[in-house]
This record gives sequence, structure tokens and C-alpha cells, in this order.
Amino acid sequence: MPTDADNKRQAARDVIDILEDISKILNTNLNRTELSLCVSLIENGVNPDALAAVIKDLRKEAATVNRGQ
Amino acid sequence: MSTSTRHPARPRRIDDALSQLVDSLTPALPITAIQEEDYSDPEEVLAAAEEHRHNAYLERAWRILDTHVSTNAADTGSPSGRRGSLAGTENVNNAADLIKRKLRRENASPELAVKFSNMYSKLLTQPVLSQKWGILYLLYKLSEDNEGFGEQQYGERSRSPLMDDGNLQNMLGPRAPLPRRGTGPRAIDSDDEGPAVSSSASQRVPLSSKPERQSSLRHEGLEQSTVRSRATSRAGYEGATTDHEGDDRPDTASLAPPRGGSFEYGLLRDLPFNLQGLSSTNLQFQSATSLKLPANLPAPIISLLNSLAEPCLLYKGLSAFVESTEGGLVNQSLRAAIANELRSYLSLVATLESEIRHALAAIGDANEPNGVRNGGVTLKRCVVWTRDATMALRLMSLIVEESKDKKGGQLISLIHGFSSSHGDPFVCAFAEKLLAHVTQPFYDMLRSWIYDGELSDPYQEFFVAEGKNTSDEDPRRIATSVWDTKYVLDEKMLPSIITQEFANKVFLIGKSLNFIRYACGDSAWVEAYSKEASKELRYGDTATLEISIDEAYKTTMARLIHLMDNKFKLFDHLQALKKYLLLGQGDFIALLMESLASNLDRPANSQYRHTLTAQLEHAIRASNAQYDSPDVLRRLDARMLELSHGEIGWDCFTLEYKIDAPVDVVITPYGSTQYLKVFNFLWRVKRVEFALNSTWRRCMTGARGVLTHVDDKVGPDWKRARCVIAEMIHFVCQLQYYILFEVIESSWDTLQAAISKSECTLDDLIVAHKEYLNSITHKGLLGSASPRYGSSTSNAAKQPEESFLSQLHQILKTMLSYKDAVDGLYSFSVAEFTRRQELSAKIETRTAQGRWGVTDRDINPRRTNSRGGISMASTSDMQSMSTGPDGLDTPLTISAHDLAADDHMLASLRVRLHDLSADFRSRLNILLGDLAYQPDIDMRFLGVVMNFNEVYEPVKRRRAAGPSSRDKEKERERERAKRKAAAASQATGSGTEGTGSFPRDMRRERRDGFEQGANAAAA
Repeated sequence: MPTDADNKRQAARDVIDILEDISKILNTNLNRTELSLCVSLIENGVNPDALAAVIKDLRKEAATVNRGQ
Repeated sequence: MSTSTRHPARPRRIDDALSQLVDSLTPALPITAIQEEDYSDPEEVLAAAEEHRHNAYLERAWRILDTHVSTNAADTGSPSGRRGSLAGTENVNNAADLIKRKLRRENASPELAVKFSNMYSKLLTQPVLSQKWGILYLLYKLSEDNEGFGEQQYGERSRSPLMDDGNLQNMLGPRAPLPRRGTGPRAIDSDDEGPAVSSSASQRVPLSSKPERQSSLRHEGLEQSTVRSRATSRAGYEGATTDHEGDDRPDTASLAPPRGGSFEYGLLRDLPFNLQGLSSTNLQFQSATSLKLPANLPAPIISLLNSLAEPCLLYKGLSAFVESTEGGLVNQSLRAAIANELRSYLSLVATLESEIRHALAAIGDANEPNGVRNGGVTLKRCVVWTRDATMALRLMSLIVEESKDKKGGQLISLIHGFSSSHGDPFVCAFAEKLLAHVTQPFYDMLRSWIYDGELSDPYQEFFVAEGKNTSDEDPRRIATSVWDTKYVLDEKMLPSIITQEFANKVFLIGKSLNFIRYACGDSAWVEAYSKEASKELRYGDTATLEISIDEAYKTTMARLIHLMDNKFKLFDHLQALKKYLLLGQGDFIALLMESLASNLDRPANSQYRHTLTAQLEHAIRASNAQYDSPDVLRRLDARMLELSHGEIGWDCFTLEYKIDAPVDVVITPYGSTQYLKVFNFLWRVKRVEFALNSTWRRCMTGARGVLTHVDDKVGPDWKRARCVIAEMIHFVCQLQYYILFEVIESSWDTLQAAISKSECTLDDLIVAHKEYLNSITHKGLLGSASPRYGSSTSNAAKQPEESFLSQLHQILKTMLSYKDAVDGLYSFSVAEFTRRQELSAKIETRTAQGRWGVTDRDINPRRTNSRGGISMASTSDMQSMSTGPDGLDTPLTISAHDLAADDHMLASLRVRLHDLSADFRSRLNILLGDLAYQPDIDMRFLGVVMNFNEVYEPVKRRRAAGPSSRDKEKERERERAKRKAAAASQATGSGTEGTGSFPRDMRRERRDGFEQGANAAAA
């Protein structure tokens, strides 16, 4: 898949564009980098459900850290 | 550090990405951390802290991931297994579907959902991602997270029966998708209706964070919930029924559940059949629109049954509609679309049935009192499950109801009305889906129309209809009707999915293709074109449709113009019309007129076609017209208009330019008559000019010879006549200049500009040509009396315009009679000249004979000439014969008699000349007065040009009808009187000017009176 992505860099960018739009509609608060990271994770076979849980967890963590300060 | 701690089973790529993700998600700790540090070694501390935290998070993330992996799939180690485990149960559509529903639920307008669908379809076309559903699902989960915290809590709540049973929308608010188990079938998404039952159940699985306990949890939840539900429902009933069912309550509480329950089984068992419109033992269809409910049921069940009866009845009605066969193509496709929807409804019913069976079987096995509850299927639940389907059925039956007396475009408009302006997004989406099917035949028709130019519309549903049949008209008419009346645009049938402008374009395209094929005989091109350009058209992608129609429009129009130009030489014909009928080819016209002049002076009934055509041929050969293309010359023809008795050739001669089949779409028969009208007018003006010129020439040559000898007698008359003729020539020249140059040439220029535009269509051509003719007839003072064009010329201009033509005709007529009078004067002068010559010759001979050159009789002939009274000079010959024996005296007598007759003639000629010139002037004044108040600037300009030195005094005429004309008459009368007086004084003035003495004039006047009296007596 990385070769795929390399070969079709433009295509990948398009995909990320589309996904970014969707994510904006859905208010996921993911930025572009995070989104592409997530895409690569999922493409590598990570369970999206689990990944969602991870992100939520990290966010919660970050929130508590922020609140703590 | 992360590499060292990495679990061997964790792939490096995932680890790297995850670590980056952790980094990016980790909040701005460093900044605040630095502030708290003592700045001793901030970087190191920071780095350490960060590293530590990073690792902690990463570890945690891995833990979470691993838990999920282990719970979701058996083979933890291999990524393919992980992937496969999910990919097996989920499919791409479901994630998208979830998002779509969520968006639809949370937003009042379907806009976002539509936007999402667009993006989703775009995404699907991208080849890069292999796990599209995954990322979508992730996004979905994340978005969910932003609204509701606590998945566990949510999961539990979603299991609660309240959500399943009652008005859950309100209670849930905008949060979660309805966790209706097995209620996947929503008519709105028919794509996944059937399978969605299972898949939506399975896609719920990952909702819970502990899926392995899912089923047991649910079971518990259900058990709890049924208890709660019963409690709440009873509470609800309490609330609802306290007022009138208060005393029954204990009874229902104790007895009704078991009894109602057993009854409910039966009802449930029969429900699938009822939902398919079949009668059962309990529920029987009385008629197509009524369902009989058993009487002995408790009210709650009755109300449930009432709501369940709706889909049953609706389905029955709709299936009856689907079975029927009448109606046009669009109706049939509507029927097909509805049948399709009904099929998905039936699949819902089938799912329902299997659920019910399942539940009933469970009851049978368990034999518990609460079996039906545990089975999870109740009437109430069925109501909820069929709710969406009921809405869809309701909408469909509404459409069916309203479409009864509609067809074609109207039907499409109706459904489009639902899809575009209905407030309910569900209705919109549903109608939209129906529309895709329903419009299919419409688009087929549209396609064959814009690509083949054929109207394949057996039921008159398209917005283009065949025009009235015109087979009984003459062939010339039929040719034009191909364009104008063969097809008509039927506004009624215009569906609202197509705009008016668009429809016009479409109409024009098909019409042009048809025209090219049948009238221009170029069907080969049409076929090639349709083969090459034909595309599938469908509802939805308006942009493509518009583009393809615009393209078709351009191609067709270009082809049509090309054909008109090259094959049918339309522009050559226009040019030729201008040249020959609008007198553009000056040498030709001059030659024609010259050669025809003597011929046309004779009466109309002595004109022969062959002489005319011969002269025409001559004119063509001898002028530059010979270089024109033979095709054009072939069409030129000279003929006489319908003869009316007593007219001379001038009045009914006409040139004709023959226009045949396809070109007469532009140059219509009406246009041809307009051309003829203009030609006739111009011809008349030309003829007057010709006549005046020949007269002018004659008197100019005469002035050098004959006229000098009679200058003493008629010199002043000639002077005046020349003045008037010059005036008239000025008038005619200005008129001609105005019409030929200001009007025709400028209109021609506009026409040229209009038709040489690149995107010009045949309609544009027709309009431009019509404008051209109109402006010529209007500005050329030929305002048409035809009511057809009444609207195009302004009303104010119309009335005077008509009088313009008659005024001009009058003026021209006056000119011609003036010309005749001048001719009379000329012949009089010549006669006078010959008489004088004879006299002097006689005097010479007498002198030679030795007698007196002049006798008494010569000087005073009246005394002897008692017989004078016959004024005609022609009789003098007779007299001279009769007085033959009176040898010597004869010439004298004759000349004396002649003199008397001529004197009389001269006087009447003078009066006539004065009258005519005065008449001309007054008419011209009126005309100028009218011209000065024209709205058209060119026409005012004509007035100015004619009266550039203000020698005329334009008469201001009032617009009011009755009195003004009388005023005018009076005015004219008065003017005439004045003029007469002036003329008389002038005549006397000229008399004194000349050699003739005043008493002699007086005498002559008296003699005139006497002779007239004698004439009367003789008559």
C-alpha cells in the first residue's frame, strides 16, 4: 500500500481531501495530519473501532491534562 | 525507546503511525510545562517529560487496540485476520449509511446528507483506499463521540425498551440512531432494505465496547425493559384513560394482558397477511378502502390495529394501481417504480413475518406468560417497524391519487414538486428516488427528440406536440408549416424539472433536426449526428444534461445555418431580393423601366406576358445583372397583377422573385407579399421620377429650340412649370434616397449583422428577416394594414402610417397629372410655334406675291369667326376642308380659329397647372407635418431633408379623428381658394409681364366664359 500511495500521490491527496470534507461535516475535530495518519493506520489493518477508542482516550487524556493545568 | 518496548507482534508501520498520531493528539503540554519549570534545563526536562508521556500514551493506545483485536477476532496476530474479521461482517455501505442517517437525523435539511452522498460517491471512485468503510466508520465514531459521551451509558440506554417502543425520537433527541433491532428496512434506502435487517443488527455489534457480552447484556436489558415498559405503558394508559375507563382499570390490569396477549398472538400471526392486503380471520377487508376490526378488543389494541390498518389498506390500493394497465409511458413507469417500492415493502413484511414466527415459536417453546414480550415482537413494535414503510406508502398513494388525471410532464412536475418543495426530507428523498424511475421514459423521449429529431410519444406526454394537421393546404404552406406549425411547444406538459428556456432550446433542437431531415433532405447528416452524439440521459445529473443539450443545440443550429447558406443559398436569395425587388440594382431597373415605358403606358389588358419577360430578359442581359448566378436569375419573373379595368400597365406591372421550399421558412409567403408591396411602391416612385425626368428633358431641349419662339406667350408658364417640376423632382429624389439609402440599406446592414452572428439560429434568422421587412415597410412609409403586424408597430404610429401610403399615392398621382398637364403645355407650345411658323411663312409668300403680309383678319379674327365655340383644335382640319373654296382666306380662318381654341386651352391648362401645383404643395405640407411628429427619427429626418430650407410650411394636424379631418378639409378648401386668388393674380401678373396686354387678357377671360356657355348650349 505504501507503494500504491507513492505511485498515486495525487490520488491519495484527493482521497484525503474528500475525507477531510466528510470529517468536517461530521465534526470529528481531526486535522489533516491526523486524518492521514488514521487513514494509514486503518489501511494497515487497525480496527477502526479500536482506533476511535484510542483517539477518544487520548483526547480525554489531553482534556484532563489541560484541565489539570 | 518506543522501538525497544514494541511488542513483537506489533507491526512497525502501525507503531510509527500510531506514535505520530499520539504526538499530534497530545495537547500543548510543553508550553505550560516550561513555564512551571525552573528553566535550569528546560529542553532536557521537557524532552524527558514528553518522552515519558508519549510512551505512556502509546502503550495505552496499544492496549486498547489489542483489546479490540482480541475481542473482535480469534486470530490476533495476523493483520489480515484482523481485517478480514471485520470486513466479513461489515460492508462499505453500512458505514456510509450510518453517517447518512446520522446527518439526516441531526440536520433539518437534507443538504448535508446530500453533500455527504456526493463526497461518498466520489470517494468510492478513488482506487487508493482499500478500507474505505474503515475510515468512514472511524469518522462516524469520532463524530458520535463529540455529541454523546460515555459509550457504555449510551449502549445501555439504547437497549432500553422505551427507545424501542414509544415516541423514541423525542426522548433520544438528536443523539443516536434508533437501535431498532431488525428494523433496517426503511423504504427510503431501498438498496439495503432486505439485507439491512441482518447487517444493521451486526453493525450494532461494535457499538458496545464489550461485544462478547453483548447478547447476554441485551437479554438482560430486554428483560428489565419489558418490566419497565409494562410499567410505563400502564402508567401511560392511566394517564390516557383515567377519565372514562377508570373503573375498568383493575380489570384490564389483571385480565387484559393474558387475554389481549393470546389475542395478540393471533393478530401477530395474521399480521403479515394483512400487511399484504389479504383478509384474515380477525381482520377482514370489507372493500378496497376499509378494514373490519374485531369488535371485542381493548381500546389500546384497537388503536394499534388502527395504525396497522393503514399500511394494509394503502398497500391494497397501491397494488391495485400497479396491476392496472391504462395510462401513458410515464404512468407506466410510475407504476413500475411503485411496484419496486412495494417489493421492498413486501421484503419488510417478510422480515417481519420471520421475526413473528421466531417469536411465536419461542413462546410455544417456553410457555411463559411473558413469552411474547420476551420474543421481542409485539403489535406495538410492529407499528413502529412499519412506520417508515407506512409513510412511504402514504406518499405513494398520495401521488397515485393526484396523478389520476395527469399525464406525462404534469405527472413528473407533480412528483418533482414533492421532491423539491416538500418540507419533509423523507418525502423529498423518496420522491426523488421515484423520480429517477418515473422520468425514464421522458428522458428517452427527450433523447430521441434532441438526437434524432423524432417525436416518439405515443401518448402525447412530451412537452413537444405535433401541430395541427395541415395536409389540406397547398404545398407552399406545408413547407413553411414544417418549421412553424409542424410541432408546437405544449406548456402544459412541460415538467418542472426543465426550465422554460431549456425547453425552448430542446424544442428548437428537435425541430431543427426534423427540419433538416425532412425539409432540407439531409437525413444522412442527422443519422450520422445522432449516432455520434447520442448519449444516455437520465434524471439527476442536470449538469451533464445541460451540457449535452447545449452541445446538441450548437451543432444543430450550425448545421442548419450551414445548409441554409450553402445548399439553399438563403443569403444569396436575400441579396437578390434586395437587388431586384428593392431596386438595389440601379442599372437593371433603369434599363427595365426604359424598355418597358412605352409598353406600360398602354392599358393593362393589352400587356402580354411574353413581351414583359422579353423585356426583362433584355434588361438582365444588358445590365450588370447578367453576372448574377443563373439560379437567382431563373427565379426572377415579370408579370401583371390581377387586372382591373381601366388601369394602365404601370399600375399592375410587377417583378416577382420565386422562393421555393426550405427557404420560404425565412422568406415566408407573407414576406414575399411584403416585398412585392415595397417593390410596387418603389416602382411607382421610380416611374414618377422617370416621367418627370423625361418631361424635364423635353422641356430642357425644347427651351433651346421650340420654346424660345413662343416665349412671349407661354414663357412665364414654362418658368413656373419648371419650378414646380424641379420641386417635384426634388421630392421624388429625396423620397427615393430616403427609402433606398436610409431605410433599406440601413435595415439591410442590421440584417447582415444579425445573420452573420456565429450563434445565429434559424429562429434568429426568421426574426431578423421579419424585423428587416417590418422596418422597411414601416419606415418606408408603407405601414401595413395587415392586422398581423399591428402589434409590432406602435399604435400611435399606425394610424398616420396608413395615411402616409395614401398620401404618397395622392402626391404621386398629382405629380403624374401635373406631368400630363406640362406635356399638354408643351404640345400647346409646339402647336403655337408651328402656327406662328405657318403664319410667318404665309406672310412671306403673300409678300412675295405682292400683297399685304397681314390682313385684317389676321389681327382681329374674332369678328369673322362667329362660329367659334368648338374648342378642339382637331376640328379645325374639318373646317378647313369645308371652307376649301374660300382659297386665300382659308389659312387665316384656320389660324384664327386655332388661336381662339388655343387661347382657351392655354387658360384651362394654366388653371390646371396651378391647381395641381397648389394641390401638390398642400399635400406635401400635410405630409411634412405628419412626418415632423413621427416617433421614428429616420422619418423625421425625411421631413427635414425634404424641407431643408423651410420653403414648405408643414401643417400640424391634430390626432383627433372626426373634427380634425373636417378642419383639414376646410383648411384645404380655404387654401385652395386663396391659391386660386393668388393664381389669378399671378396669371394677370404674368400677363402684364408678357407682351400680351391687360385688356386682352380680360377679354380672354370673358370669352372663356362665353365659350363655356356656348359649350353648354351645344351639349
